[in-house]
Amino acid sequence: MIARWSALVALVACACTIGLFVGGSALAPAEVLRALFHPHATTDAATIVWTLRVPRVLGAAFVGAALAMSGVLLQGLLRNPLVDPFLTGVSAGAGAAIAIAVAVGAAAPLIPGIGFAAGLATALFVAFLARRRGGLDVERLILAGVSLSALFGAIVTLVLVRLGRGSGDAVLAWLAGSLANRGYAELVTTLPYAVVGLICAALAVPSLNAMRLGTTVARAVGVDVVRTQWLVLAAATLLAAAAVALAGVVGFVGLIVPHVARRLAGTDARASLSASALLGAALVPLADAVARSIAQPTEVPLGVVLAFVGVPTFLYLYTKSADGARLWGT
Amino acid sequence: MRIAIGARTLLENFDLDVLPGELIAIVGPNGVGKSTLLRAIAGFDAVASGDIAIDGIAVRALSGRDRARAVALATGDGEHAYGASVRDVVAAGRFSYRAGWDWSESDDDRRATLAALERAELDRLADRRFESLSSGERQRVWLALALAQDARVVLLDEPTAHLDPRYALDVLCLMRGIAHGATTAFVVLHDLNEAAMIADRVAVFGNGRLLAFAPPEIALDPEILENAYGVAFDRVVVDGAVRVLPRGYRAASIPTGI
Repeated sequence: MIARWSALVALVACACTIGLFVGGSALAPAEVLRALFHPHATTDAATIVWTLRVPRVLGAAFVGAALAMSGVLLQGLLRNPLVDPFLTGVSAGAGAAIAIAVAVGAAAPLIPGIGFAAGLATALFVAFLARRRGGLDVERLILAGVSLSALFGAIVTLVLVRLGRGSGDAVLAWLAGSLANRGYAELVTTLPYAVVGLICAALAVPSLNAMRLGTTVARAVGVDVVRTQWLVLAAATLLAAAAVALAGVVGFVGLIVPHVARRLAGTDARASLSASALLGAALVPLADAVARSIAQPTEVPLGVVLAFVGVPTFLYLYTKSADGARLWGT
Repeated sequence: MRIAIGARTLLENFDLDVLPGELIAIVGPNGVGKSTLLRAIAGFDAVASGDIAIDGIAVRALSGRDRARAVALATGDGEHAYGASVRDVVAAGRFSYRAGWDWSESDDDRRATLAALERAELDRLADRRFESLSSGERQRVWLALALAQDARVVLLDEPTAHLDPRYALDVLCLMRGIAHGATTAFVVLHDLNEAAMIADRVAVFGNGRLLAFAPPEIALDPEILENAYGVAFDRVVVDGAVRVLPRGYRAASIPTGI
């Protein structure tokens, strides 16, 4: 068990290190190393490493961990393995708001904040629609999330068609997910929301474990089911919204990483949450390194790389194992 | 006490006064409100009038955690435990013994979980996934969960449903063992002879009322049962124990060629 966790931590370290050595400007590994050990040097290499690559790798690890945790929390709460962090409309709401903001000519620095606020508002509205007797109705939540997402998707399409090439590209880039030009400032402004989400998640984990057995059993052993539902929803939404504000719509991480994490660590919420965070923090920096280096000098959208890497891996995992139908791992 | 769902009154004007260590069987026709009664005792739903108290303390007045330490409802509501092992399921019974944010299990929790597994003879299955168990084994898991919960009152909803006679006997024995000392058990049963076998007292519900609440040899009276179920019963004594049998249809009255 300890070997598995050490391997996961080592994987995150490796992925982040690889991320530091890859980039748009060609730097020799030795230069990168020297820059890493001399952060205050005035060389170009030091500037590139410390103002571009380090924040970018940290941002990627952050986005990966946040989305993977958001996904595993929602899948656990709804006891549905097909749920992803954007189910609650976080990304669709943010996407629509950003598309409209771009169309009316909002300033670029405002975009992440608008996305974050709109994402949270959409999730709140979805939760409001899914309310029943104080608690959340799982089916209503899924239906409300899916239908509102479709509506907001249509708004995005409409805006894109009206904007045409040029200004529409800003919206498209955001929809495809990217970590290009994200610095410490963006990281620092989104981190607090994710931390609050993480605290909510940590508080809900023991209850979430009991909820694996269904709501009747959970109630019978003393779980406050309604409180747990709101806590987990708040945690998943804050984590997803923070990730969306930083990197746009980065797909597949929140759906796929939880499955792999449960295979490795089991469905105990303590283990699956930790393993998801580590796997996500390894996968996204790796994918981002590929996105930066595969088609230089341009970047491939992060969401596209993740789809190309993630989906075949996912399918392989499930067709390879004899019990492929079991989506709950171990 | 009155038990109701919405505006529909299920059971009315009854009073069950139960002693510590008793095993109470609840019997009655489908839909009479037996499961609703169990949920009310567990504090899940408010009763329409009257109240449910343990040692004089109303169950509904307790917090979720205090309630779970007082009453255990040992019934799963699904086929799945989403990858949880048998040990995980039983360990969930210890939820109310630690703070909600506490990720770790105390030694007491581990001991209680282990003891419950052993008592339900599940120690060899502890690492198996819950989904891989047979229905008889699953019933034992729910019982072990209730044991780990260490509550004064244990509630069981048809624990012998779908079980073959051997598994049913296993579960009945385990249940009989739970109800002793300070622990009282209520069990909803459809098989009247299982009730006769293990219960200290049987509560017979029918037509929205409590028709009898007495030791099995008195409560399982053909007249009371006919009143409850609308079917005639015969009462026989086998080796000194009372058994009741629904009087079969006469062969001629069974329609043929449907």
